[in-house]
Amino acid sequence: MVVNLLIGLPGDRPGGMVLTLAYFFMAGAAAFAAGFVYAAICVALPRASLVLQGASAVLRGVPLILLVFLLAHVSLFATGAAGLLALTLYSFGHVGEVLRSFLAAYPKPAADQARLMAVGRIHEWLHLRAPWTLWRSWTALITHWISLLKDTGALVVLGIGELTTTAKELSEVSSSFEQWATVLIVAAGLYLGATLTLIKLLPLAAGKLFGILQQHHGADGQGRERYA
Amino acid sequence: MLSDAGLWVGIAGSLVLWVSSGTLAVLIGVVLAAGSLSPHRPVRVLARVGVNLTRGIPTSLLVIAAGIGAMRLAGISGLPIVFPGTAAPFQPLAWALVLALALGSAGHLAEIFGAARSALGRARLEQAAVLGLSRPRHAAMIARECAAIALPPTGTRLIHHLHNTAFAGIFPVAELFGAIQGRASATFQVFHFALLGCAIYALLSGLTWLIFRLLEAALAPPVARQARTRLPAWS
Repeated sequence: MVVNLLIGLPGDRPGGMVLTLAYFFMAGAAAFAAGFVYAAICVALPRASLVLQGASAVLRGVPLILLVFLLAHVSLFATGAAGLLALTLYSFGHVGEVLRSFLAAYPKPAADQARLMAVGRIHEWLHLRAPWTLWRSWTALITHWISLLKDTGALVVLGIGELTTTAKELSEVSSSFEQWATVLIVAAGLYLGATLTLIKLLPLAAGKLFGILQQHHGADGQGRERYA
Repeated sequence: MLSDAGLWVGIAGSLVLWVSSGTLAVLIGVVLAAGSLSPHRPVRVLARVGVNLTRGIPTSLLVIAAGIGAMRLAGISGLPIVFPGTAAPFQPLAWALVLALALGSAGHLAEIFGAARSALGRARLEQAAVLGLSRPRHAAMIARECAAIALPPTGTRLIHHLHNTAFAGIFPVAELFGAIQGRASATFQVFHFALLGCAIYALLSGLTWLIFRLLEAALAPPVARQARTRLPAWS
C-alpha cells in the first residue's frame, strides 16, 4: 500500500505521489499557458473580453470536486482525462486572473519607452511584459500551485471516479478502517513533505530566475531595478 | 428542480458548515498568527508547526480522517444539534467535520493575518507602540489597520473554504454537493443537477466576495482608504 502511495498509477487505490505530481505538472503547465493567453487577450481587448472574464469568474466560483463530478459523468472523456481537464480548468480560472491583474498593472512609462526605442510588439511582450508579469505575480502563483498540489493529491489518493464512495465504504468495514487509517497518515505525511518542499523550493527557483534575468539584462542598477 | 426541498436543506447545511467552520478557522488563524509573533521561542515554534501542518495536509484528508474517527467514536453526546437535514446520530460527525474544515483553512488564514501585519511596516507598528495604549486597545487599533489589507485575501480564502465544505458530502451530513449528487443519481439528470450546483456555488461565492468588498469599504481606516490604490481582483 505504501508503494501505491508513492507510485500508484491510474486504477491503483490509493493513488500515488508520482501520479499526483504528473497530474499537477500537466494541469499546472496547461493552465499557466492558457492563463497567459487569457491575460493577454483581456489586457489587449478589455471591453471585448468581458464575457470571457465573466466566464472565468463563474469558473472560480465552482468547487473542484463539482467540476470533476460534472466532467466525469457528463463528458465523453475517460475518468483520468476528466480529472485532468477539471484540474486544468480550475487552475486556469485562478492563474488567468492573477496574470491578468499583474499584466494590466504593467507600467505605462515602460511601455512608452519601449515604443520610443522602436522595440517590436512581440519582442516587447516576450522580453519585457512577460518577465515583468511573471516576476511580480510569482508569490500569488506559488500560493495557488500549493493549493493545486493539495487538491490534486486528494483526487489521486481517493480515486477520481470513486471520490464520494470511498469514504463511505471504508467507514463501514472494520478491517479497512485500520488499513485506511495507515493510508491517511502516510498520505498526510507525503503531501505535507511535498507541500513544504514546494514552499521552500519555489522561492529558491525564483531567486535563480532573478539571477539569470539579471545576467541576461546586465547586473547594473537598471537591470536590477527592472525585476526588483 | 429548485422546488426540491432536499436541495434547500443541502444549501442550508452547507451554509451552517461554512459559517461555523469558517468562524473557527478565523479564530484558530488569529491564535496561530499571534503565536508566530510571540517573544517566547517555544510558543513561536509551536505556532509555526501548527501553521505548516494545517497548510501542508490536504483538507480532504483532514475531513476524511475526522469523519472516520468520529464514526468510530460512538456515544459522543452533548453537542448542540445545528446541522439541518443531518440525522441526530450524525450530528457529532458533522461537528468533527467542522473542526477538520477549520484546521484546513487555519494555517492559510494565519499566514494572511501575519502578512497583513507585516505590510503595515515597522514605522507604523512602532508608532502604535509608543502611543501608550492598553494592550486590548493597541490590538484593536492594529487589527483595524490590518483589516484593509487582510480582508481581500481572507474573503478569497473563505470562498475556497466554502468549496471545501463539499468534502463533507462524502459522509452522511446534509450539504449542497451531497444533495446535488443524490438528486443526480436519483433522477439520472446528472448534467442538469451538476449545472445547477455550479450555479448555486458560483452565486454563493459571488455573494461572499460582495460581502467582503462591502466590509473592506466599511472597515478601512481613513488613512488606508486614502492610500489604497486599485487592488487586483484575485487578492
